[in-house]
Amino acid sequence: MPRHASLAAIVSLCLLGAIAACSRAEPRAHPVKIQNFVFVPAELTIARGDTVVWSNTDFVPHSTTASNSAWDSKAIEANGSWRFVARDAGRYDYYCVFHPNMKGTIVVR
Amino acid sequence: MSPSRLTNPKVFGSLIAISASFSLAGCKKTETPAADTASPAVAPARDTTPPAAAAAPAINDAQIAHIAVTANAVDSAAGELAKKKGSTKAVKSFAQTMVTDHGGVNKQAVALVTKLNVTPEDNDTSKQLKSGGDANLAKLGTLSGAAFDKAYIDNEVAYHQAVLDAIDKTLIPDAKNVELKGLLQNVRPAFVAHLEHAKSIQATLTKTGA
Repeated sequence: MPRHASLAAIVSLCLLGAIAACSRAEPRAHPVKIQNFVFVPAELTIARGDTVVWSNTDFVPHSTTASNSAWDSKAIEANGSWRFVARDAGRYDYYCVFHPNMKGTIVVR
Repeated sequence: MSPSRLTNPKVFGSLIAISASFSLAGCKKTETPAADTASPAVAPARDTTPPAAAAAPAINDAQIAHIAVTANAVDSAAGELAKKKGSTKAVKSFAQTMVTDHGGVNKQAVALVTKLNVTPEDNDTSKQLKSGGDANLAKLGTLSGAAFDKAYIDNEVAYHQAVLDAIDKTLIPDAKNVELKGLLQNVRPAFVAHLEHAKSIQATLTKTGA
């Protein structure tokens, strides 16, 4: 009987773990293209733990720089990319430090 | 430069716009009579003379390539000067961006003409751009501090607007080679971004009384 009880407990724990894992989505990577001096998409909503990947397809350097200093890629060279893992919920406006009229927003839920 | 050499009305329109932009910054005063005569009539003249414009020989791709390279080189040179003489962080940063971006554009242009085996051909528009750029550098060389910042940024606003007009009204429409046309379309957003950036700095300088 004790052996059966232990086995049942282990199976239960495994099931609970599986359920917990299923209920929390895997972190995702979201692409943002920098093209023709525009962030595409200009606004993106993601979950905490997700990653945003900016890819610069222009022929000049750009940056992705949060207005509240949450991140700053510095120069992303032509054909380069830069990624940021969003840990905290909130609405983040960002811009290109070299071309300040280029603007975007990341909403982290 | 004799106006009679400017046989292409479309290019002439661009020249007038570019010439006017330098005049706005206080340069090219020796050409005032021509600019005064032509500037107010740029749009009407083009509107009221469609047969002549339609019959005019189009500017060729080699000349367009030369104009593109010259326009970028002129603004890079002004940027190099402003990196040293600018008195505010905003002006110095903007100048660095001009040097970087126009250098990037020229790399693209040179790579394309090399690939296409085209030799850029000097022409009146290029000459006007170069002489206007030289006059601008000469004027900026005499200024310092806030006066330098204002003159540099005022010229950047006028220059980028004039080049954008030339891109839209002459260079892209007249480019025959698909890749050259594509290059001009690709670099256009850079000029738009630079114009907006320069305008925002201009507004700040005006507000602070520079």
